[in-house]
Amino acid sequence: MNKWLKVNLATNEMKDFFVLEETLRKFIGGKGLAVYFLWEYATGLEEKGVVIKDIDPLSPENMLIFATGPVTGTKSPNSGRHHVMSLKSPLTGSIGSGNTGGNWGAKLKFTGYDGIMIIDKAEKPTYLSIIDGKAELHDATEIWGKNSVETSSFLRKKHDRKRAGISCIGQAGENLVPMAVIMNEEHRAAGRTGLGAVMGSKKLKAIIVEGDNKPKIAKQEEFESKVKEHVEKLKENPVTGQGLPEYGTAVLVNIINQNGLFPTHNWQKGVHKEAEKISGETLTEQYLINKHPCWGCVVACGRKSRVDSGNYKITYTEGPEYESIWALGGSTGINDMTAVIRANHYCDILGMDPISVGSTIAAAMELNEKGLIPEEDLQGMNLEFGNSDVVVELTWMAAFRQGFGYWIGEGSKRMCQHYGNPDLSMAVKGLEMPAYDPRGAKGIGLNYATANRGGCHVTGYTIAAEILGDVDRFTVEGKAELTKIFQDFTSLVNSSVNCLFLTFALGLDEYVEMLEPITGWEFTADELLETGERITNLERMLINKLGFTGKDDTLPKRLLNEQMPEGPSEGQTVDLETMKAEYYELRGWVDGIPSPEKIQELGLD
Amino acid sequence: MEIYVKVFATLRKKYPDINDLNPLKIEIESGISVSQIIVKLGYALTEIHLILLNGKKVDSETLIEEEESILSLFPPVGGG
Ligand code: SF4
Repeated sequence: MNKWLKVNLATNEMKDFFVLEETLRKFIGGKGLAVYFLWEYATGLEEKGVVIKDIDPLSPENMLIFATGPVTGTKSPNSGRHHVMSLKSPLTGSIGSGNTGGNWGAKLKFTGYDGIMIIDKAEKPTYLSIIDGKAELHDATEIWGKNSVETSSFLRKKHDRKRAGISCIGQAGENLVPMAVIMNEEHRAAGRTGLGAVMGSKKLKAIIVEGDNKPKIAKQEEFESKVKEHVEKLKENPVTGQGLPEYGTAVLVNIINQNGLFPTHNWQKGVHKEAEKISGETLTEQYLINKHPCWGCVVACGRKSRVDSGNYKITYTEGPEYESIWALGGSTGINDMTAVIRANHYCDILGMDPISVGSTIAAAMELNEKGLIPEEDLQGMNLEFGNSDVVVELTWMAAFRQGFGYWIGEGSKRMCQHYGNPDLSMAVKGLEMPAYDPRGAKGIGLNYATANRGGCHVTGYTIAAEILGDVDRFTVEGKAELTKIFQDFTSLVNSSVNCLFLTFALGLDEYVEMLEPITGWEFTADELLETGERITNLERMLINKLGFTGKDDTLPKRLLNEQMPEGPSEGQTVDLETMKAEYYELRGWVDGIPSPEKIQELGLD
Repeated sequence: MEIYVKVFATLRKKYPDINDLNPLKIEIESGISVSQIIVKLGYALTEIHLILLNGKKVDSETLIEEEESILSLFPPVGGG
């Protein structure tokens, strides 16, 4: 049985509802189910005459969904995660979507609910508690203005629940910064597309959850034996058994830099001369306190860290992850790990996406280099590439919309448009791209271009094959198929919901082995991949409603036209059109829109 | 001739001070293979997952013929 809570923040009405088995078989849970609910919601609005693409993402009409999947909260490894979605992102205008680790997903499951659907908007600051099966709304006035760490400890104390799971926004979400995130377990974020601002617009500060409802498993014995096998495989695999636990995701800094696709100086180059100083090895040697696994994780890529001396001294924080190090450090050309740690800490406590923050600061640095920002706008700030202090300062200012920080918070697309050079925004569909220059790995370029939520790597991480595996990184041949498979498989993972890093060691067959005993239903690997495809397509149909079509499946001009100037990827550009034509053909899409035949084939008509 | 070697991630356990900014300078005979160097450095071939020679991906049978080449060695790693 799949039980959901629907909360209307305007009327304070709360209702349980149950999802039909037929729907679950088609969409699994997590992201798949959230996409399905958003589709139904959007269709309902259209019937009332609402034009979906004209909805203001920060208006009460936007819907916010917190979703777990059948695997979440079970003994299956790395299953503490959940997925958050909104109909529309305030940063991009496309769909809002973010997957997060931490413990909240599992803890929500233990309340007996599989997910929460939030509609409308509260009049005053509010938080939701679901404790021992009972859902209640409370006044959040006394925590409005507090950061994510303060909010979490306040709520745990107030409810006298030391082990409760807390999802919340920091000040950035309250201030409706379009790149605000929703934090949980203090340092884990549903980190992209500005979901924190959607939550802030609803005046929903936090959701605290605790319970002892263990998820039901249809075939317990079979499940336990598969769990054992999967844990073995994860331990034996050198990436999940050694690389990730030892160095965290930051281990990628050196490898990506050595391959010449570590974007620096706002993607003007692909090699950072001093990347070693902000590498995973340096983080481990100098700043690591310990590992920090998410709930139920046997890999533990999370980092507890500290800085012992200097301006950015801090006794405890977490991270930074590879992406944060790249955006705040690599992209901006800085070499001071302590500044990266501090800026990343601000992103965590104030609740912002470090990828978008760092990338937008880097774009501002290039605008400044080209003399496009009037001096009075900078109020004496030195925006040169490599200035670590200004990165830290602007990160803080962005959350409070202070001075030039206002433009950082707005994201690179709006900022670069405002300053007259939109091509310097290294974003797709308005979402800043992550830490791999596709001139050095063509498949990831196709993924950035076609990902429904915008410039994103984790919807189709072809880097696993192109850089960490054996696929030729420079060719465009075969990349359409590679990208499609990665995207559809990832949709399945995010609907299951567990950690994408499992897929370094576990494939589709293992997902069959997980989902069958949990649900009691039978699947084949092909059927599961088709389920992933169905979810990717329904999400695509949603973004079509939001006004996004083939013209938006593109990359910044720099990547298409400017050759990589130096390093191991020298001379490369991205031939996107060739890959895209093949990709649309494989997908059964016409100009970025699923064809009626494809819609019918996937049972989406 | 002289070449430079850089090792990363868990491979640093054997050479803690060797990194991108401080590569190991070694003297080799021209034309020896990458695998011979790997063994000479004290690694098992199975420990090495990715080899870059002057930034280009090569296999362990590749011969090193260029003076001052940079050889980068990685164990299996992943992230996101
Ligand atoms: S591998 Fe990392 S991100 Fe995944 S569940 Fe474990 S700690 Fe969390």
